[in-house]
Amino acid sequence: MVRHLGVVGAGTMGAGIAQLAALSGIEVSLYDINGTILRQALERIKTNFKSNWDKRELTENQTIEAFGRLHPRTRLAELNHAEIIVEAAIEELRIKKDLFRHLEADTKPTTILASTTSSLSITAIASSTRHPEKVLGLHFINSPGAARLVEIVRGQQTSAETIRRAIEFTAQLNKTAVVTQDSPGFIVNRLVQPFYGEALRILGERIADHEQIDRIMRAVGDFNLGPFESMDTAGVDQCLSVTQSIQDQTSGESRYRPHSLLKQMVDSGMLGRKSGVGFYKYNGNEK
Amino acid sequence: MKLKKKTARKKEAVRPPRPEEKGEPKRTPVYLVGDYEMVADFTTLCSSHGYFVFFHFNSPPEQERLLDSRFSKKSAQIPKDISFALELTNIDLEQKRLNLEQLDRALPASTVIASSSVTVSATEQSSWIKHKNRLVGCSALPSISEKPLIEIAPTAFTPTGTVSIVQRFFQSVGKEIELVQDRVGMVFPRIVCQMINEAAFALQEEIATPREIDVAMKVGANYPLGPIEWADRIGLEHVYAVLKALHTDLGENRYCVAPLLKQMAVSGSWWHRAHAPNEERNSA
Repeated sequence: MVRHLGVVGAGTMGAGIAQLAALSGIEVSLYDINGTILRQALERIKTNFKSNWDKRELTENQTIEAFGRLHPRTRLAELNHAEIIVEAAIEELRIKKDLFRHLEADTKPTTILASTTSSLSITAIASSTRHPEKVLGLHFINSPGAARLVEIVRGQQTSAETIRRAIEFTAQLNKTAVVTQDSPGFIVNRLVQPFYGEALRILGERIADHEQIDRIMRAVGDFNLGPFESMDTAGVDQCLSVTQSIQDQTSGESRYRPHSLLKQMVDSGMLGRKSGVGFYKYNGNEK
Repeated sequence: MKLKKKTARKKEAVRPPRPEEKGEPKRTPVYLVGDYEMVADFTTLCSSHGYFVFFHFNSPPEQERLLDSRFSKKSAQIPKDISFALELTNIDLEQKRLNLEQLDRALPASTVIASSSVTVSATEQSSWIKHKNRLVGCSALPSISEKPLIEIAPTAFTPTGTVSIVQRFFQSVGKEIELVQDRVGMVFPRIVCQMINEAAFALQEEIATPREIDVAMKVGANYPLGPIEWADRIGLEHVYAVLKALHTDLGENRYCVAPLLKQMAVSGSWWHRAHAPNEERNSA
């Protein structure tokens, strides 16, 4: 059982994890180097709790208790009570390696260090520590609150004990967990590539149009959303950046080559639902 | 983002060639030949929609499913008076060619044939027969026969009239139609088989266990089935046949078949089947 969690970085991901953990009864030390961002994050979480309360998902007491479990921190050394520290800083290897080196120095030897990275190697991040066996990845699919799945990423040196404790932690957060090796795109981001990539090819080769392809995949494949509806919902730019990142990490493997149409759309600001136009046109929430 | 359809075809609301339900006078006879699973599925589908089905399997399995003998009959001979023929072979293309040549010889030139075109294009198939204009491609894979939609692909030789006969036939067995261009893999088979191929690469790299891969895709990507389960439903031999055809047709590395998938397809194994290898071998 994790009683005390440390979260490094109070951006959307970090604040989301802090909020989720506090609601799951875990004491959370939320760290950010920037005091303003930290204050804003706490305000956001407060607003979210308030709306949970308004919707009667939480009682007044639960709201107050959950918020009371959040402790803003501006010094890494203040995270030393945590059994697990989850890092959610920007996706830059140099910065993450630096952070992990400091985290290891400032915390107990038994503390597990986790990164939420979706595009960097856990093995590479762990290489800056003296105990890479206690370093692993926790990849939340979508935002932490909405995610139903967490990919637990095993670096080359990660110990079985570290994995076991991470599985326990995700169960505490009420998420389904799968264990994956440290490999580009892990499981989900990699295995969705053909769903988008082949659909784009089929469209590009003029075999069928995007509406037909979506209809076929829904009716024959029982998918909730066809590939184009799905890309519009996730954001065309997001899809392109994931594909590009996997291609870069695999030194240009042709299965992950982004389709030129994606680039053209991103360059034209056709990003999907959020920009009002993607493969479909949107009017509010309606297609 | 709107594509112009290359072949403009008018939608006709023609009554499907379905016999009267009352008193069951005469059922319209159709002929089905090809790979076992699909012929068995389509025989059930057609006989429950008012047809009398004559059918023949390329190679029947040891244990055959029980098919409704009131409305269907096994027949290696092709009756001359059938109104419609379906060729459903994906795996053995030599056999498919023999089947089509036989149908072409036995049936009057006006009888239309719909033929599965997921592992060889319908246009290529029509080059095997004399009456080229009677052939239309369709998407057939095991496990999707009961789905409410079918892709059909006219060839360069198919006249509009023939296309609408095929449309009416599939509508009469309860399907919506999507007209797509005649390319190997069509839409659904190409996407789903490439998803399975990617999963096979991930498995041979020991990224995760088969079960974890299925769970991840169902929970994390909201897929109705995981890729390993898909392969089980469709049958790995068919998946392999589609992938091989895509690779041959498009000649790109992107369509290389994962060696593990090939191995398992030819050895007849896959995770949820009886001969499944030890699933937990990756979790060490």
